[in-house]
Amino acid sequence: MILVIETASTACSVALIDDGQVVAHVHEDVARGHAERLVPMIAELPEGGRADAILVNCGPGSFTGVRVGLAAAKALGLAWGVPVTGYSTHALLAAALFDQQPDLPDALIAIEGGHGEVFVQNFTAHPLTARDALRSLPPADVPPCPLAAGSAAGRVSADVAIMIGPDARHARLLPPAFCCLPATAIYGRAPDAKPNP
Amino acid sequence: MALILGLESSCDETAAALVTSDRAVLAHKLATQEAAHRPFGGVVPEIAARAHVDVLALLIEQALEEAGVALKEVDAIAATAGPGLIGGVMVGLVTGKALAHAVGKPLIAVNHLEGHALSPRLADPALQFPYLLLLVSGGHCQLLFVEGVGRYRRLATTIDDAAGEAFDKTAKLLKLGFPGGPAVEAAARSGNPKAVPLPRPLVGTAEPHFSFAGLKSAVLRARDAGLYAPEDIAASFQQAVVDCLVDRTRRAIERADGATALVVAGGVAANQAIRSALETLAAGHGLPFFAPPLWLCTDNAAMIGWAGAERFALGLTDPLDVVARPRWPLDPDAETVRGAGVKA
Repeated sequence: MILVIETASTACSVALIDDGQVVAHVHEDVARGHAERLVPMIAELPEGGRADAILVNCGPGSFTGVRVGLAAAKALGLAWGVPVTGYSTHALLAAALFDQQPDLPDALIAIEGGHGEVFVQNFTAHPLTARDALRSLPPADVPPCPLAAGSAAGRVSADVAIMIGPDARHARLLPPAFCCLPATAIYGRAPDAKPNP
Repeated sequence: MALILGLESSCDETAAALVTSDRAVLAHKLATQEAAHRPFGGVVPEIAARAHVDVLALLIEQALEEAGVALKEVDAIAATAGPGLIGGVMVGLVTGKALAHAVGKPLIAVNHLEGHALSPRLADPALQFPYLLLLVSGGHCQLLFVEGVGRYRRLATTIDDAAGEAFDKTAKLLKLGFPGGPAVEAAARSGNPKAVPLPRPLVGTAEPHFSFAGLKSAVLRARDAGLYAPEDIAASFQQAVVDCLVDRTRRAIERADGATALVVAGGVAANQAIRSALETLAAGHGLPFFAPPLWLCTDNAAMIGWAGAERFALGLTDPLDVVARPRWPLDPDAETVRGAGVKA
């Protein structure tokens, strides 16, 4: 049994997954309320969400949301004595997209970044493969592509834009190689502060 | 006897401690972020939040190991729920919530200021309620009449900067380093406290409050005058702060009927000049004086665990959806003070 914790967007989403099947899930749009809702949502799951492993979204996305998810995941891992690993927002969205549209050969995943930029990464389907590394770019610098998906899909040059957001249930679609990130945040950009000695 | 796990992450220290209701600190693990913030001359909230989530779970694990206890033996989890830098507060509070849920033990959402306010009782069982407390830190400068756990009457606060902020800004102006408190104190040791004429804002006035913004500006002018050594400015500044704190505290003592002791707590209480001046003041009024050991003055998790133990003993626990609060006054009924804004 795997507990999935997904808090990188405005959604607060948790799921229990067993052998690739979603056993239980709770999914709410909480805007900024992750720190209040997450643990009660886990408590609402069967057996209080008790699992043999924890899988958490490491980002990128909402800095605060990602930290709330990681803090909860690491604490539960410590208390239950179970391993905690992570996945990326982009891998999750790509897996969900290729599941919903099995004929797609590839796609650009684009989500909102900071300061008007977008976080982008290209994926191919069947098997799910990342074609490049995650980058933070001004939308105008993103090469045109046939299809983009994610919260910033409409802001890059693509023939088709699909709005799609993360959902913990979709973690069942991630190949094992995409579920083994260390439980460390992927922020995608450095803090804005400038040294001021 | 209750065993409490305390968690702290409201500013630039990440910490976990195991504390018992009979005042034993079984373990205390603390990671300071000083080095990460030094290039910026102050605490950067986003850098702080990132560091808290990286290290807190590890510190908890180390604290449990050092104390030789299993998480399930803990009676309650106490985590700072504010006030402070909200990104960091959330990390500690969510960690506490998840631990409390996982082991089926109560959560106690601790006001960080109550942690400071009760910390002298962890250090010394002789300290009983009610007492007069000078709470001085980087974010706060208040005189409080402490009637009991959760019962605070604010007698005075700062109308602008906190005392610790004045130390930090003075250190920055004089290029003494970060954090400013210890840097100014060290420089002041070789300086003349009478060398530089500096103001004592609000000293002798009828109103009860503190003000340090004008003092900071005077330090800037003294530096730019080019007439004084940094050590002399530091020593004169520190003396001015001591004089302000003593004058305002004396005024409060004269009005705090029934106080059984004078207590100082918070990061600035680590300053030796301030401690000894307050000790002299207390003695002059026939009051016992309490100041926690230096490690308990600066931010730490033992005081959060202790505040948790005090609240747990009274049956005060919190639900798992409790909200993290960037602002959280100890005395919510205190009247607004001119200019004080969020520091009230």
